[in-house]
Amino acid sequence: MVNLTFDRVSKKYKIYTEPQEQKSRSSLVNKLRALRGHSREFWALKDISFTVERGEALGIIGLNGAGKSTILKLLYNITTPSKGEIRIRGKLSALIEVSSGFHPELTGRENVYLNGSLLGMTRREIRNKLDSIVEFSGVGAFIDSPVKRYSSGMYLRLGFAIAAHLDPDILLLDEVLAVGDAAFQAKCIKRIAQLRNEGTTIVFVSHNLGAVESLCDRTLLIKEGQIYKSGATRDVISAYEDLLLRLSPTARAMAESSASPAAEIVSINLFNSQGSRTTMFATGEAMSIQVELMVHRPIKDAVVEVYFNSVFGNLHTHFSTETGNRIDLEPGPMLVEFSCPEITLEVAAFDVEGSIRQRGTSIGDFIDRKHGAVLNVGRGKPVHGVFYTPHEWKVLNRDGPSC
Amino acid sequence: MSTSETIGNEPAARLSIITAPSLSAAKLVRDLAKLGQYRDLLYTLSVHRIKVRYKQSVLGGLWAFIQPVSLMLMFTFIFSYVARIPSEGVPYAIFVYTALLPWNYFSSSVANATGSLVNHAQFVTKVYFPREILPATYVIAALFDFVVASTILAGLMMYYQVRLTIYALYVVPIILILTCFALAMSLFLSATQVRFRDIGVAVPLLLQLWLFATPIIYPLSSVPLRFRSIYNLNPMVAIIESFRQVVLRGAEPDYWSLTMAAIVSVVFLFLSYVYFKHLETTMADII
Repeated sequence: MVNLTFDRVSKKYKIYTEPQEQKSRSSLVNKLRALRGHSREFWALKDISFTVERGEALGIIGLNGAGKSTILKLLYNITTPSKGEIRIRGKLSALIEVSSGFHPELTGRENVYLNGSLLGMTRREIRNKLDSIVEFSGVGAFIDSPVKRYSSGMYLRLGFAIAAHLDPDILLLDEVLAVGDAAFQAKCIKRIAQLRNEGTTIVFVSHNLGAVESLCDRTLLIKEGQIYKSGATRDVISAYEDLLLRLSPTARAMAESSASPAAEIVSINLFNSQGSRTTMFATGEAMSIQVELMVHRPIKDAVVEVYFNSVFGNLHTHFSTETGNRIDLEPGPMLVEFSCPEITLEVAAFDVEGSIRQRGTSIGDFIDRKHGAVLNVGRGKPVHGVFYTPHEWKVLNRDGPSC
Repeated sequence: MSTSETIGNEPAARLSIITAPSLSAAKLVRDLAKLGQYRDLLYTLSVHRIKVRYKQSVLGGLWAFIQPVSLMLMFTFIFSYVARIPSEGVPYAIFVYTALLPWNYFSSSVANATGSLVNHAQFVTKVYFPREILPATYVIAALFDFVVASTILAGLMMYYQVRLTIYALYVVPIILILTCFALAMSLFLSATQVRFRDIGVAVPLLLQLWLFATPIIYPLSSVPLRFRSIYNLNPMVAIIESFRQVVLRGAEPDYWSLTMAAIVSVVFLFLSYVYFKHLETTMADII
């Protein structure tokens, strides 16, 4: 039985741009002109069709901006398609982390009622499940304290516990495995497995290829708003890995870019300690990153940087040439290598973004900036807390150091 | 946007169909049915609005009194000592408070509801629920304040020995009309605010001007007759004046003008709702 159907679905976004040519001095005039329809159309999804059978787990993977989250938003009815039809049989819920909607002054219990009803639960349902939600979250007696007194971990866990109690026919998952510590992640995975065994249909959108592989029977690879490949998860993931490795934006991409910046990021490649190119690493492992640049015009005192963004778009850390010697760029190709003896990032997928700017300009004032690669950090050195800190240890004699 | 129908052999499995936005009577019915499904959210979120105010501030619920009472004291001082304004033979304090009470209900509904969608962008972009619930909860919270602040009116009436008559029962339909109108304004302004943030700045000014265009601090009788036809276009005139008429003067309301206000409010509510639901489909894209 078909649980979910996407029937030739397209989604168009309007991007409002300020008029380029007849730019008037008055910004009000510009704005009024913009209202008149200076907008560009952008098709986030083009003619997507697929079905999901009852009890099946479907993975959706693809690069940032491919249209994965648009599919999620459409499924969840946050936005509507511009063309086509989506048919959903049964109750659909998303396992999303809702703690951002918590009110700090209200107690955990009050916030459970508030967020539970936002997710479509009735008060009676919440009452019946409250004990189980509290147990799942592990906040214990804190449930009757204002959530402003919670640690950030408790906050997230409670937000997640609510969503984990929705009992849907179709479950949407979106990077859930990046929430909380290892113990809590294990709990979430157990809950998802339980729902799966009960015959819940699952749609899982993720960068975490390992998680997609372990959970999904079938996977779609989305590229530029279209289905690039669909089939058995194993095959689709290897197609995606091929795509990632071929990702260096080449001469074609340069030709396409309308404006011509003084320098461009051509590619970003990640290498492991053996010197082979990969996207899979583990916490504590050594990594080097090569940023390939094409300089068109000389740039005085340039700074090359690499940003590591979470899948939610938060910047986690960065590498920069700003602290070292001054570099002046001359026209021609150029390669910058960053080496990192130990990765301190926790287990998650990161979007690796390269940038080039001039020293002294603020972050944001880029000459060029490009998403270049995906860094998958797997389980390595244990991370308790936010990041791993490189450290060593030894046992000293009780009497103090002996010489 | 979505529809529900029972599948023959699977009574539990609801079929929802999501398509491009359209305007139709069937969609309106589906939207209202969806709102019914989410009535617990409307309740919980409204209670939450009231609770939060109690928890966050030292004075908490007292603010429900402080706002209308301080306005009353200020207007009473200015208009009975500084500049004299006729108050039709009743003490000015009770004269102005009787009108400030329903006005405050309206103005705090509209003022708070306008930003409701934009201020809850984290909900709107993350979770689906009927969006009209957000502005509606502010109207409900303001209605709660209205009831609380009414006790002051009761106290003033006892102090000044104003006797209630049977006509005071008209308060119920008058408040119902006012609620429709406040809800209509709230839906219209909050949905428009998503696209045009100017609304958030314009509303406080609009409400300030509106206060003076309504017979609150002065009696309707002091408005020159030749302006009345324009003046009466403001539905708040009939609503506030009727409220004062049935509570303070213990007389029948002007049925004709009250009926007109009721028709205007209901039609406006219907149009605002359709407008709101039409914009709702793309709200998450532009908020």
